[in-house]
Amino acid sequence: MIVERVLRGNAEAFGSLVERYRDRYARYALHMLGNREDAEEALQDAFTRAYRSLARCDDPERFGAWLFRILVNRCRTLGARRGRRAKTFVFDETALLSASEDHPAEQGAWREEIDRALQRLRPEQREAFLLKYVEELGYDEMSRLTGVGVSALKMRVMRACDRLRELLSEVHSA
Amino acid sequence: MRDDDNVKIRDVARALREPVRVDASFNERVMRVVRELPKHSHLSFWRRWAMPRTITVRPLAASLAAASLVLFALVGLWHVSDDLDRAAKPIAKAIFPPKVAPEQHVQFVLVAPDAKKVAVVGDFNGWDPSHLGYQAQHRGGGVWAVTASVPIGHHRYSFVVDDSLWVADPTAPRVVDNDFGTTNSAIVVEEQR
Repeated sequence: MIVERVLRGNAEAFGSLVERYRDRYARYALHMLGNREDAEEALQDAFTRAYRSLARCDDPERFGAWLFRILVNRCRTLGARRGRRAKTFVFDETALLSASEDHPAEQGAWREEIDRALQRLRPEQREAFLLKYVEELGYDEMSRLTGVGVSALKMRVMRACDRLRELLSEVHSA
Repeated sequence: MRDDDNVKIRDVARALREPVRVDASFNERVMRVVRELPKHSHLSFWRRWAMPRTITVRPLAASLAAASLVLFALVGLWHVSDDLDRAAKPIAKAIFPPKVAPEQHVQFVLVAPDAKKVAVVGDFNGWDPSHLGYQAQHRGGGVWAVTASVPIGHHRYSFVVDDSLWVADPTAPRVVDNDFGTTNSAIVVEEQR
């Protein structure tokens, strides 16, 4: 088991964990923060913090979920810091980082609108929406992950959906 | 989820679920930092016990151990079951009296002449506008009302008009929801005396 090997002093084994979870969690960080630089910073920070605190990971078999909780918190912290720094986002980054699959021009433009609309959501609504609809977590798991009550999370998701519909309908009708 | 909306949230989510690739140099950057950190050198005493591991056991030994445990448990139960039963019943009743969640019927009323649908959402129904027990009926003259069960206590609620517009109850005190910075209505449901 990889976590056990790392805890016995084999630091190089941690590379397998980075390889396994890197792309999967980069998607969340990228959608949450809106640009590659911040997303990679949050992800790298999450991995190094996870390594440092690995002895406190209660259930090594659920290392992925534990790491994700660290990442969600790093994204919150980095997002808040970025929000103070500047209110500008590079919306195209998500599209640039996405899989190499080519989109027709129209589909690409639509995808950019989705990224743009996502970044216009309030951070807590964006977080709840991504966890529910993109990471496909249940509300109980979301609640354990974020420390927010299930009712509040449901309302955040509902409001995020309403806002996304509103923003994307404007694009449709324009 | 309203599937008949122009913009389908599930399509948006599908687009966002497309995989994201991070440059392979990322691994090296992380590992460079990791190599500079102190290595984990040992497993703690507790972790030695808590960590899952593979143990090899002979089937004969496992069967004998299992049979002994079952026998031990059955003999023990046979000895103590009657005494336990007599002693535990009144204690259990005293500690855990049968619970009935106290609720009261509350009438919610909203004047919304242009509405086609009005529902009540609140912390008592998971903020779910599709909850069947909280759908208001049109009583004529633009008046919408529903009488619903609400648990005793302090609650926050709102009306949802036509599945999209959130309206605080104009007749009730307002509270700002700290999570969202929005305004809901407050209600205190008390036990009937």
